Amino acid sequence: MGGLNTSLLVGIQALEATQGALDATSNNIANANTSGYTREVAQFSENAQTVSGSDVSGGGVTLDGLQSVRDELLNLQIQQQTSLKSSADIQSSTLQQIQSYFTTTSGEDITSTLSAFSTSLTQLSADPTSTSAQQGVISAGQDLANSFNTTASGLTSAQSDADGQVTQAVSQINSLTAQIAQLNGQISQSTTTANNGGTIEDQRDELVQQLSALTGVSVTQTDDGETITTGNGTPLVMGGQSFALHTTTGSDGMQQVLDSSGNNITTSILGGTLGGAIKVRDQTIPDMLTQLNTLASQFATAFNSAQAQGFDSSGNVGQNFFTIPANSADAASGISVAITDTASIAISSDGTVGSNGNVANLSAALTNALPSGQTPAAAYSSLVFEVGNTASNASAQSTAIGLNLQQLTNQQGSVSAVDTNEEATNLLRFQTAYEAAARIISTIQQLGTITLNMGTSGGY
Amino acid sequence: MRVDPNMVPDMLAAIQQSEQSLQTALQQVSTGKSVTLPSDNPAAEANMVQNTIETANVDQYTQNASSALSMVQTADSALSSVVTSLTSAISLGTEGANGTSSSVNQQAIATQVQGILSSVVSQANLSYQGVYVFGGTASTTVPYSVDSTSPSGYTYNGNTGVNSVPVGDQMSVQVNIPGSQIFSNTSTNVIGSLSSLVTALQSGDTSAISTATAAVSSAMAYVSQQRVVYGNAESQLNSQETYLQQETVSLSSQATSLVGVDMATAATTLSQAETDNNAALAAAAKVVPNSLLNYLSTPS
Repeated sequence: MGGLNTSLLVGIQALEATQGALDATSNNIANANTSGYTREVAQFSENAQTVSGSDVSGGGVTLDGLQSVRDELLNLQIQQQTSLKSSADIQSSTLQQIQSYFTTTSGEDITSTLSAFSTSLTQLSADPTSTSAQQGVISAGQDLANSFNTTASGLTSAQSDADGQVTQAVSQINSLTAQIAQLNGQISQSTTTANNGGTIEDQRDELVQQLSALTGVSVTQTDDGETITTGNGTPLVMGGQSFALHTTTGSDGMQQVLDSSGNNITTSILGGTLGGAIKVRDQTIPDMLTQLNTLASQFATAFNSAQAQGFDSSGNVGQNFFTIPANSADAASGISVAITDTASIAISSDGTVGSNGNVANLSAALTNALPSGQTPAAAYSSLVFEVGNTASNASAQSTAIGLNLQQLTNQQGSVSAVDTNEEATNLLRFQTAYEAAARIISTIQQLGTITLNMGTSGGY
Repeated sequence: MRVDPNMVPDMLAAIQQSEQSLQTALQQVSTGKSVTLPSDNPAAEANMVQNTIETANVDQYTQNASSALSMVQTADSALSSVVTSLTSAISLGTEGANGTSSSVNQQAIATQVQGILSSVVSQANLSYQGVYVFGGTASTTVPYSVDSTSPSGYTYNGNTGVNSVPVGDQMSVQVNIPGSQIFSNTSTNVIGSLSSLVTALQSGDTSAISTATAAVSSAMAYVSQQRVVYGNAESQLNSQETYLQQETVSLSSQATSLVGVDMATAATTLSQAETDNNAALAAAAKVVPNSLLNYLSTPS
């Protein structure tokens, strides 16, 4: 049978354990709104019984430590979805920026100027000798060339914005991987203790989360902490060491991403702001630019050859109406109207000033199929469809992943988030336990005093 | 099962979503358009490219048709007055060929026919809005000028070119007949025959007067025939104008169905979105302040 001292010892252990639990509760409440914080639960275990002969006495309680409640699998899923979401987001926002150049509301877009150009030619055909109708054709041609220039520069500026994102994302990635490596070192030292990485691990999870928004990563747990690589296996963090990415200007003037050994890994980066920016910069926009350039160059060539079929006011064979740069990659950005004099429009089919015969050829350049197989309007309309469709897909994808991510975050919250109501309940529970333990100690103390006084006071 | 204690993100998401729908609905009602960006409906916006271009073209075709119509009508009425002039020239010629007609009388008739010739030439030199109607494509030069070396006394300065005005994607209407075809072709020469009639009347040669009168009358028949070209053009232009009006209506209804909104639906959607938004806000206001701590008495 244990003595009073045993009970006192058990009481003190209870007081200490409850004190620890109250600490955990108070820390949970304090961090209820801290991003990345994982609630901690006090882990108690009962101590071994003391058996002495037929006497058995309880050994009390020990506070093993505070356990962070987290689900690593959920964390992984959230990281993956975060990568996909920020990739879709950057594509969606870039395309939103681009598609404003393709709406008819401004009146400066290619649809509006192409139709104005077509109208001006039809008008000229009805009134071939009118200077104002001729001037109308030249200004409508200039507007059309300008709208090609504006659209092309809209696309290239969105492309260089995306390029800026690449540089920015790489420097953020480097800063995050350095911090993660440092935390890895700290965690591998502290995991030996019972607190399960605790707050340091929360910090690391939060950083990995931020990292996954920048690029798709793959995370594996090793003895040294977490090993983080990009989707294609380029190491970013191994244990306490981080590997910085670099950027360098490529042959096309765009930033290329190099790994720590200098290999170009630009094309293999997927997901995250970095992956999304690279995709929109190297695939989506160039594809649209190519279509726009092909249209500008083929249309200008077709119109110029229609000019050459007729005669201008001086009876000479029509000269080029549009000038296009020799490099077809600059066609849309560089197209301009070559002629300034209304007399240079090849209106006549027979060299006489009043003839409108060649206007039909000029108009036909707008309605006949280009070498691409489509009429200018149809080719442009395909481009509008592509821009709209890509933008709507990117934003639909972002919404869908967003919902999925919200679901996962809810699940993570149901595991790891601090519930103030739960903590309030715990507070009451541990308060009662603390009071009870304190009462045990004071009771034992009283009993001890009574016991000590047994021989001296001579009884009651 | 433990549930996610943090309701704020869900609630914020719901509020944002309902605000987004509200904004979209409001925008649709206020602009009357369901598609403002290509991403709203890529296929519709792509079709709008064609629609916009065609609408603009149809507008211009309508203007072309109406200006071509006035030009054709002007030319036709000129030819009609030429026919009238020729009719009186024929009766004058017949009168001059009559053996009882005195030489003085014939001279008087010759002067009258000379007047008719001038009026026919002035009709042939008709200009409409600065464009010579019967000069072929050389519409900036006077078609007939006085030329004493020419047998008829006039030279044709125009050419044989023809202008057609586009009034539809696949349709253009011929709006002029060159003067060389109507007034001075080799077989039925209006100006030449009138001029020979004047000469014959002046010389008093009755058989020459008869021959010249017969030539004028076959020239008149030919001019009447040529009026059919203008008559056809007029009726083509009239029916094309009607077609273009229908086309305008159908293009605009296509545009409405592509990017427009049905106001009744849009208004319903708007009020629905308003209700949703109110509900989301009300729910947030009810749930957020709830806490167990409100019900626990302060420990004494």
